[in-house]
Amino acid sequence: MSGAGAIPRVERADRYRWRVPRQGGMRTEGLIFADEGLMRDLEGDQAVRQVANVAHLPGIVGPAIAMPDIHWGYGFPIGGVAAFDEDEGVVSPGGVGYDINCGVRLLATSLGIGDVRPRLKELVDALYATIPSGVGASRSDLRLQRRELNQVLREGARWAVAQGYGREADLDAIEANGTLPGADPECVSERAKERGKDQLGTVGSGNHFVEVGYVAERFDEPAAERLGLDAGIVTVLIHSGSRGLGYQVCDDYLDTMLAAADTYGIALPDPQLCCAPIGSPEGRRYWGAMNAAANYAFANRQIMAHYARRALVRVFGEAGDRTHLVYDVCHNIAKHETHEVGGEARRLCVHRKGATRAFPPGHPELAPRFRDLGQPVLIPGDMGRYSYVLLGTEGAFRETFGSSCHGAGRRLSRHKAKQLARQRNVPKELEAQGILVRAATRATVDEEIPEAYKDVARVVDVVHAAGIGRKVAQIKPVGVIKG
Amino acid sequence: MTPYRFVPHTADIAVELVAPDEAGLRAAGIDALRELLVGSSAVRAQQERPIESRGKDAGERLVRFLAGALYLYDAERFVPARAGPAGVLGEQFDPTRHTAAREVKAVTHHDATVQRDDQGGGLRATLVFDV
Repeated sequence: MSGAGAIPRVERADRYRWRVPRQGGMRTEGLIFADEGLMRDLEGDQAVRQVANVAHLPGIVGPAIAMPDIHWGYGFPIGGVAAFDEDEGVVSPGGVGYDINCGVRLLATSLGIGDVRPRLKELVDALYATIPSGVGASRSDLRLQRRELNQVLREGARWAVAQGYGREADLDAIEANGTLPGADPECVSERAKERGKDQLGTVGSGNHFVEVGYVAERFDEPAAERLGLDAGIVTVLIHSGSRGLGYQVCDDYLDTMLAAADTYGIALPDPQLCCAPIGSPEGRRYWGAMNAAANYAFANRQIMAHYARRALVRVFGEAGDRTHLVYDVCHNIAKHETHEVGGEARRLCVHRKGATRAFPPGHPELAPRFRDLGQPVLIPGDMGRYSYVLLGTEGAFRETFGSSCHGAGRRLSRHKAKQLARQRNVPKELEAQGILVRAATRATVDEEIPEAYKDVARVVDVVHAAGIGRKVAQIKPVGVIKG
Repeated sequence: MTPYRFVPHTADIAVELVAPDEAGLRAAGIDALRELLVGSSAVRAQQERPIESRGKDAGERLVRFLAGALYLYDAERFVPARAGPAGVLGEQFDPTRHTAAREVKAVTHHDATVQRDDQGGGLRATLVFDV
């Protein structure tokens, strides 16, 4: 890569922690959570350098952190967490990513896997028909006027529930109740609104999906019971974000922040890290736009969940109507939070790009139903193996600003994955394992083959062993809708 | 020499562009973007849509130019055929002739620098597309 520079020196701190000591212009050290095997997976790419680059930014508090699913992104690594002082620190669109509030939502049904297996094809086909996926997917039944779109940007999932997409009770099970404060539709450009106007309720493409699965294993039975994850029950997992609207918001504000970095004299090791002081006019406008795009993403997943419920009812009648939302989390977002640093409570702006908030039991920001449990953390794996439900911990709050991993993390480039899949029929292989796949194109399936990803069990085991999350249940896929 | 080639990147798609000048980099970048968006579908250069190419250096100008073409595709289904003198030439997406190959979220600024190509004497740039 041009301008790639040297890979920084890394030192092992313990079995699951690796330090990137301060070197060059780094203002703090880096801290990577990984075991030896996961660290080996990073050899030859730029992810570690990206951790070091984040450590150059002004006002960073504590280390630049990477989760065990760290992989090479752009600007920040995927799996990155960085906290900035509210007065001296910066906000960076590259620290959130293009897909603002990309996240995961888990619905649990009352159907057992034994009930669903015989009619799995009908269910997967119904989901594929009712939730648009793939390149340029849009909904013909949901065209928003500009006034309505602005309401979505202000209210998020609450707007969707008010329109009849889902239930009031769903809102309790969404991070921030599905509406982030501080959203300002005026800060979202017309181009962003145009790009996202017909995409609400669509899954998109790439690694986004809707997945039917079942609870295959429970590591913490009482916690699984509390989350309604009975052994063998069928679930629907949705992974998507703010679609074209969010991508354009990020793009627009990268332009703004490139100029702002010059204005405020911020030296950047990579232009994708461009940023502005949190309290500056540029920082405040990005904040308004980012929260608006995040609310769009909450509404998007709320509407998709509504159509998933419809598909369940279409296939299973009344039995399909008994569902509850287990949780909905963001994994690309920045938030103002209070954390203890050096024995003092400090207000920080915590960026999580491919990382999930994992607040511990007792945290006041958790909805009452989760307060004694900790924040649910949803970790999708690849389409052939499994996904996990975790809970937030005190350890995460102390060490990672209340953050955990977000997924398996890619290990193969898309090109390599396609090469591996070229002579194979991946949907047939998965079908032989009991997993039905529906996708808009063969290319998507080939690029998303299970081998393209790290084994998410290894990632989650590191998180659990390092104490920055606690395993509750494993979910195995039986049907996958890919974009 | 091929004006563009895709190079390894774990999560996204990186492309290396080589051209004699900035206009050539824009042309190579549009060719790479077209391949990502519609594969090998033939695209006619029927209309030109203006794209402002601004920025303090050649890397910024290139990223913004390609981001403009991506916006036209994503928001208006205008498929790029080739770079023009003041924008991009192309046509409206036609599902009978064009294959929507993949979603490209953005053209990133990550390491988007334009350098002198020591071997060929022209310019070389590497861009990362978020997909």
